[in-house]
Amino acid sequence: MPHDRNGQTAAECTRLTKVYRKLLAPAAKTVRALGDVSLTVHRSQIVGLIGPNGAGKSTLLNLMAGLIFPTEGQVTVCGHPARSVAARRCLGYMPEHPVFPGTYSARAVLRYHGGLLGLSASAISAQVDKAVQQLQMQEFLDRPASDFSQGMKQRLALATAMMSNPQLLLLDEPSNGLDPIGIIQLRDLLKQLRDAGTAVVISSHRLGELEKLTSDYIFMHRGRIIPFGDRITANQAGRLRVELVADGRSVAGRLLPASRVLETSDTELVVAIGDPEEVPDVVCDLAKGGARIMSVLLQRENIEDVFLRLCNEGT
Amino acid sequence: MRAWELIKETFFRRGYIWIVHVIWLVLYGSFWWLMIPEGDEFGRFIFIWGGFLLPLALSAGIFGDDVSSGRICVLVTKPFWAGQLYLYRLAGLALQAAVHLALAGIIVVVLHAIMRKGRLDHLGSWLLATWLLFVTCASLSASLSIIVGRAFNSLLLLVIVVTGYFVVTLLMAYLRQQSSGGVLMSFIRYAWPPFELLSKFAGGEYRQFSLTVGRFSLTKSAACIVHSLMLTVGYSVVGIILLCTREFSRVRD
Repeated sequence: MPHDRNGQTAAECTRLTKVYRKLLAPAAKTVRALGDVSLTVHRSQIVGLIGPNGAGKSTLLNLMAGLIFPTEGQVTVCGHPARSVAARRCLGYMPEHPVFPGTYSARAVLRYHGGLLGLSASAISAQVDKAVQQLQMQEFLDRPASDFSQGMKQRLALATAMMSNPQLLLLDEPSNGLDPIGIIQLRDLLKQLRDAGTAVVISSHRLGELEKLTSDYIFMHRGRIIPFGDRITANQAGRLRVELVADGRSVAGRLLPASRVLETSDTELVVAIGDPEEVPDVVCDLAKGGARIMSVLLQRENIEDVFLRLCNEGT
Repeated sequence: MRAWELIKETFFRRGYIWIVHVIWLVLYGSFWWLMIPEGDEFGRFIFIWGGFLLPLALSAGIFGDDVSSGRICVLVTKPFWAGQLYLYRLAGLALQAAVHLALAGIIVVVLHAIMRKGRLDHLGSWLLATWLLFVTCASLSASLSIIVGRAFNSLLLLVIVVTGYFVVTLLMAYLRQQSSGGVLMSFIRYAWPPFELLSKFAGGEYRQFSLTVGRFSLTKSAACIVHSLMLTVGYSVVGIILLCTREFSRVRD
């Protein structure tokens, strides 16, 4: 779950359940996409939504954007019910596959979205200039948006989502199709937005990219939020691989609680570590207990490892 | 700015829209040039092409394109009442039709002046009736577009109207002597796009009649206009309710 912060709440979901029903379809054919999900996203926070396909990430994002209605529970954006005009004033939304009006150039698309936001002509011009600078779009500003590559479309969609200076920015796979430079620019831009007070919720399968952006993750599986557990979060949890001369199994049995020993053999021990600061104590205890240590290696669990572990635990 | 952008979008949303306008105007001109219509013939031609077929062409996928592509998800997260999206787009179509019919009128008058043939009977009434029919059909088509994907709203409406015309003609022949025939005819006349009432209004058939309800009296021509506008409002209300209550999402995970 995201860290608790003292800042203002940007979005709050309370006991959200979403069941998809088709008209006249039997009850057995309903899909429970979300079940009893609660979470809070604060200003100046970047939250990564991760989970396997069908986990409910897009449903959660759509509920926060007010695109669909919850079957049970409620969503508020900046204190207003999702889908209300007041909530939409605080919201920027970028879909996974952006589409733009047929013959419009990038500049026309930006002006169009400025118009939809109700900005004045001068404010639109200022926002267009700002977006062009932030997202390096000078080169293709007057080309038809329908001819754009996926990466260019993503940049343009992000620019339109940011035009209202939103307090909550919802991004669905924002780095799709971006080149490495575009990804770095996107990361820097999102950090700037976070520092300026914007809350950003990102649904993405690019775990490595998310890891560079935030340490606040929501892992979803089968419509539920799976807790990472106490201190066993990405970048904090790890495994300590200890190479011994001999007697690994007896050392483990004598000196370590069984719950912490992940693997054991005569010449090697793998110990679960909740925090890197525990390493000196563990090594010290092993040495004092008579273990003859040859080498020690701390292997930190990254977000990809956590993802795989939680997926395996969830199934 | 918002209204203008949404009105403008109805013209620029697809590359072929200006071509439709040009083809239709050429058709009106060709009809006058080649057929040299007498009396109300030209009025009826423009009434069907401009009042019924033109809105189908211009409103094809007006919401369905957005729903199918997922663009609607961005539009409905913007800070305004979703009904505005519907109203401004309908206004955009109505404005296009007004300019289109004004141009059609100019073409006819110019051709008439050049050729010195044919008659311009009730041209103004026909253009007004055409515009009213256009707006009514456009609102019905736009409302359909919210629930029918891509551009199938226009095709569906065309099929319904053409099929309905033949079915109703057959039914009326069968039910002529029965009271249910009158009920069916009233339903078709008052709840569906007002082809019959507006064409009679444009042809001047209702000019000398008036309707009186209690203390209120209205000429039949004015009643036809009011009826057409009421239908437009009715179809639009259905569309706005659909737009405001529909869920929009491309994925279900």
